[in-house]
Amino acid sequence: MSALLEVSDLTAGYGQVTVLHRLSMAAGEFGNVGLFGPNGHGKTTLLRAISGLLRPNSGTIRFDGEPITGLSPRAIVARGLIHVPQGNRLFPDLTIADCLALGAYSAHARPHEEANREKVLSIFPKLRERWRQRVRTLSGGERQMVSIGTALMSHPRLLILDEPTLGLAPKIKDELCAAVLAISKGGVPLIVVEQDVEFLLELSQHLYLVNHGEVATEIRPGQTMDHAEIMSMYFGH
Amino acid sequence: MGASAEILFGGLFQGSLYAMMAVGLALVWTTIGVFNFSHGVFMMLGAYLAWQFVDIGLPLPVVLPLAVVAMAAIGWLLQASVVRPLIGRPNIVLVVVITTLAAASLIENGVLELWGPRSKQIPPLLEGNTTIGGVGVSMHQIAIIVITPVILAALWLFLNRTRLGLALRAVAQNEDASLLVGLNVTALYGLAFAIAAALAALAGIFLGGYRFMSPVMGADPLLKALIVVVFGGISSISGPIFAAYLIGFFEAASNYYFGLYWTPALLFAVLILTLMVRPEGMFARSSRSLA
Amino acid sequence: MTRPIGTPGRASWKEEAVGMVLGFAVLALLPFLFTDAYSRHVLIMVFIYAVVASNWDLSLGYGGVFNFGHLALFGIGVYAYGLLTKLMGLDPWLALVASGILATAAAILVTIPILRLKGIYIILVTFGFAQLVMQVILSQSDYTGGTQGMVRIPGLYWFDHNMVRDGKFAYFFLALGLLAASTVFLRVFVRSRIGAGIVALRDNEEYAIARGISLVRQRMITLAASAFFTGMAGAFYAAYQRNASIDVFGMSLATIILSMVLLGGTSTIYGAIIASFVLTVFAELMADFGAWRPIITALLIIVVMLAYPTGLAGLIRAGWAATAGRLRRTAPAARPAETT
Repeated sequence: MSALLEVSDLTAGYGQVTVLHRLSMAAGEFGNVGLFGPNGHGKTTLLRAISGLLRPNSGTIRFDGEPITGLSPRAIVARGLIHVPQGNRLFPDLTIADCLALGAYSAHARPHEEANREKVLSIFPKLRERWRQRVRTLSGGERQMVSIGTALMSHPRLLILDEPTLGLAPKIKDELCAAVLAISKGGVPLIVVEQDVEFLLELSQHLYLVNHGEVATEIRPGQTMDHAEIMSMYFGH
Repeated sequence: MGASAEILFGGLFQGSLYAMMAVGLALVWTTIGVFNFSHGVFMMLGAYLAWQFVDIGLPLPVVLPLAVVAMAAIGWLLQASVVRPLIGRPNIVLVVVITTLAAASLIENGVLELWGPRSKQIPPLLEGNTTIGGVGVSMHQIAIIVITPVILAALWLFLNRTRLGLALRAVAQNEDASLLVGLNVTALYGLAFAIAAALAALAGIFLGGYRFMSPVMGADPLLKALIVVVFGGISSISGPIFAAYLIGFFEAASNYYFGLYWTPALLFAVLILTLMVRPEGMFARSSRSLA
Repeated sequence: MTRPIGTPGRASWKEEAVGMVLGFAVLALLPFLFTDAYSRHVLIMVFIYAVVASNWDLSLGYGGVFNFGHLALFGIGVYAYGLLTKLMGLDPWLALVASGILATAAAILVTIPILRLKGIYIILVTFGFAQLVMQVILSQSDYTGGTQGMVRIPGLYWFDHNMVRDGKFAYFFLALGLLAASTVFLRVFVRSRIGAGIVALRDNEEYAIARGISLVRQRMITLAASAFFTGMAGAFYAAYQRNASIDVFGMSLATIILSMVLLGGTSTIYGAIIASFVLTVFAELMADFGAWRPIITALLIIVVMLAYPTGLAGLIRAGWAATAGRLRRTAPAARPAETT
């Protein structure tokens, strides 16, 4: 497999504060990618740069060989690069039905709306029960399901999840993990950012530790790192 | 029975007017998050455009949609020139207040230049008068009372039953998430402004049909719209609509019992009290929505 | 302790005092340069507007409180002076000060409902307040003349100097004196602990409150402080023009003054004064354009707001920083101070 997403020498930040310092990474060669690392060190900034919400100062991003640096979020979504942001504020007053319909808004996704909706409901059957409920009445776990479900409706060719299990109870985390695995098995490549390294290890064998706005360590499949080593790496910084 | 009939009718009429005036303002605020101080001149300009079309001989059924569409285009243009370039700036609300104020001054003086200061009037929607329940009313007022709920219902249907309306509601609630779902947020901003301008044009045409029009006629309706939106809650559209009718009835009752003299002061008192007691508005929920 | 030339940032108060004295000295020489009554009239209007605009910068720029009723304070000053002198026969100088006090009282009254409100709500309430004041004045037309306004208001006097036939010489210096007093007051206020407290509240409200700064007290003080000289400027305007009209409550004047504040760059005080010069002179140059004048002014405002977010003062600062950088190559790259 060649790299589906390539990030080269990316420098980005907010105003006068630079967060990413010539960060390089690639996703797709070795299956799903996991990103982890301490908070505030650039993981979310990296994702925002990839999905077009943030304009990088320098560096390039290529998706499936084509440069996408500086493109609008709309153009990037149209290419199938879908980012599920952190937190689940989502659309508080829209119903689940609304959200999923919204996910299929772009021209790229609309032809597959029916099929994708069925897929989403089979992965997250709970959503069918609450079909006409508004997002703000849902629990944290359910909102996360809606987030991911909406992203699936956008017919992703690469799905980026930013901290999907943040703030969730362990039981819900397991449900979510199983669902995300199912999505992955269904053929959608993933990039997942997570604090929960166990979660990451279930989903991916290609990991990046992001620290101080750059890649501190890259772990490829085959480099058998055990859990304890990763944790010490993580906390050692 | 006379008092109730008069207050009922007056309330319905004033309420319809206020609803028409306020809904456009609320739409822009909930969707884009800015306060459009050109809203008053939108109403005025809509009335003047209608007057111009009538003046060149077009029949009223043609003039109405024409003026509304023209105003929508102008609203879109205004947004593209003095609002959109400012998106992303930290003090956008403040700067938009000044740019829309400047634009309002520009349009007001432009209208003064083009059409002169003399008062004008456009024909009422329906001619004639009648009596209902012992109260003398004009057909124009009846038309307004009937048309307004229809338009508001159409707006509701658009927002809640169409894909485009769904997109607008999404942008109002979460802009980042809307971008990530592939919505063209800037185009939707333009749409929101255009719709708001179209609604303002209708309000202006309503007003012009029974009152004298002048280039400065938009200032007072702007203030009234402001009060309605604040009272109804600036986080949704339905809040201000309820508020419009409530305030309409309140004003009708106040006019009847205390006379026109005191009503502005009372309305202002309502504004202040609402803001002291419940700043997010009487009918507000905690999140911003568009329905 | 003076800072080396070329370092952007806060100047010491000694430097500023010197600068201010020099600046006003230069202004004081102007009537000898411009001996015709018309030019002096323009300058007097510049000074009056500068007072109103710079005081608005206090509440808006420093305090972060968008008081849309600021012009109503000016208008209150106008009508207070007119009513006090014409109807009650009060001495014009006493009336001048009394108008300032009345405007201050009104400002305090307005702060009460908005003490804890946020941004847009403050705009709306103060906007409503301004409209209400206008309505009240219109409705009491027996005293205020309603839409016709008031005429033959007594002017100010200076011993037995002839105020009418001196080519506006005396009024020029009175206006300049008002501007000087107002500016000194504002700058002292801004540099004081209260001033710092207001800015702290503006920039990080929760933190400031946690540090013990009282939101309610600060806001009230800010608005009251911004009202005194504004009210006096209104009174002066009425004394100078010898009449009062309802136009002062109109949108056009508010737009122009607000533009001066924003054009000059908020949080500078001086910026508003400079912008007053620019805009007033500009408007006068276009006096023959009739209805096009407000149109062109509005266009100018829009263009500047779009292109220069930090206003003229920001432009000047940026220019200064650029030249200063060339004067002292070893000076570290500095972030321009947000408040001075």
